[in-house]
Amino acid sequence: MTLDRLANRRDAFWRGIREALGAPVLVLFAGMVGFGAMGRTHGFDAWMTGLTSLLMFALPGQVVMLEMFISGSSLLAIGFAVTLTSTRFVTMVVTLFPQLHRRDRNPLLYLWVHMLAMTAWAVSMREFPSMAPKHRLSYFIGLALPCWLISPIGTVFGYFVAGWVPTAVTLGLVFINPLFFLLTFTDVKPWANRIAIGLGCLLGPAFYLLDADSSLLLTGLVAGTLAYFIDRRWLRSPPMEVHA
Amino acid sequence: MTSALQGWGVWLALSAACIGTYLCRAAGVKLSGHISQDSEIFRWLSTVTYAMVAALTVRMILMPLGLLATVPLLLRVLMCVLSLAVMMSRPQRRLVPALLTGTLLMLAYGVWRTSP
Repeated sequence: MTLDRLANRRDAFWRGIREALGAPVLVLFAGMVGFGAMGRTHGFDAWMTGLTSLLMFALPGQVVMLEMFISGSSLLAIGFAVTLTSTRFVTMVVTLFPQLHRRDRNPLLYLWVHMLAMTAWAVSMREFPSMAPKHRLSYFIGLALPCWLISPIGTVFGYFVAGWVPTAVTLGLVFINPLFFLLTFTDVKPWANRIAIGLGCLLGPAFYLLDADSSLLLTGLVAGTLAYFIDRRWLRSPPMEVHA
Repeated sequence: MTSALQGWGVWLALSAACIGTYLCRAAGVKLSGHISQDSEIFRWLSTVTYAMVAALTVRMILMPLGLLATVPLLLRVLMCVLSLAVMMSRPQRRLVPALLTGTLLMLAYGVWRTSP
């Protein structure tokens, strides 16, 4: 594992910014442009479409909200479905924030947590082990802040260009999100998590066909628990099993 | 539906969705104070999250909403496989080249499809 190359918190913050200004910001920008274009074609207000990205900042939930509103679902159903797609944040935060320095784990986290999305989570999970705990929050803020700020900008941009960009370009843009998620899976190291990804890929579509609204939560619980027990029962510790 | 009523409904739906999403993030902060990183529950939550994220990703690729659904399933999968191959062609990550591969292939398909 790499030694901590960061001198101080400011250094960590800027390293986060630099990391963000590559693929993460590009990916989010593209995804949000796609969402903005969708808001335009569905006949939504530009303000509302942009504010969704600023205040919700959860692309799958945003898409679900647009689709359900168009199909005339009740407000209660929309709120519930979006919250269900956002349950992944609970586990994301619970796996990420305990890695922060004890001193940083204060009520301010309720503010920073709003900037957490899958992109920043995946990068942080990858990078946190190689840096000292006291630098992690600054790094996270540097990483997540540009991601959050670019989102409403991308959305409003997408909203206004949707009229004149060729469909081919929009196709490329909407493909970026799922592709990015898929590619980050190749970086996952622990076997328990790898098995969880494999099972999630298999069970996800099946549960989706059974009940779309709750399928994410259900897949997570079933596939995740299964992967955890497979790892605990057969893969963990005894060295003899490694060379078996 | 009058435009005023529709506008009102949109904002209410937006508020409900924002509050629900933030509550999930806040619940994570609340719970994270009580769970140690090396504990068994951390390992379990980690697998649950990865499984959930994997399910979401596969759904977006295999059963997409909107525009992506107009691309044949086989092509979507093929583009993903090619991008993954680029990503894993070196031990270090090649995220940006891999992303470009998939995106440009999709763009190329779009151009090909619209040309007579």
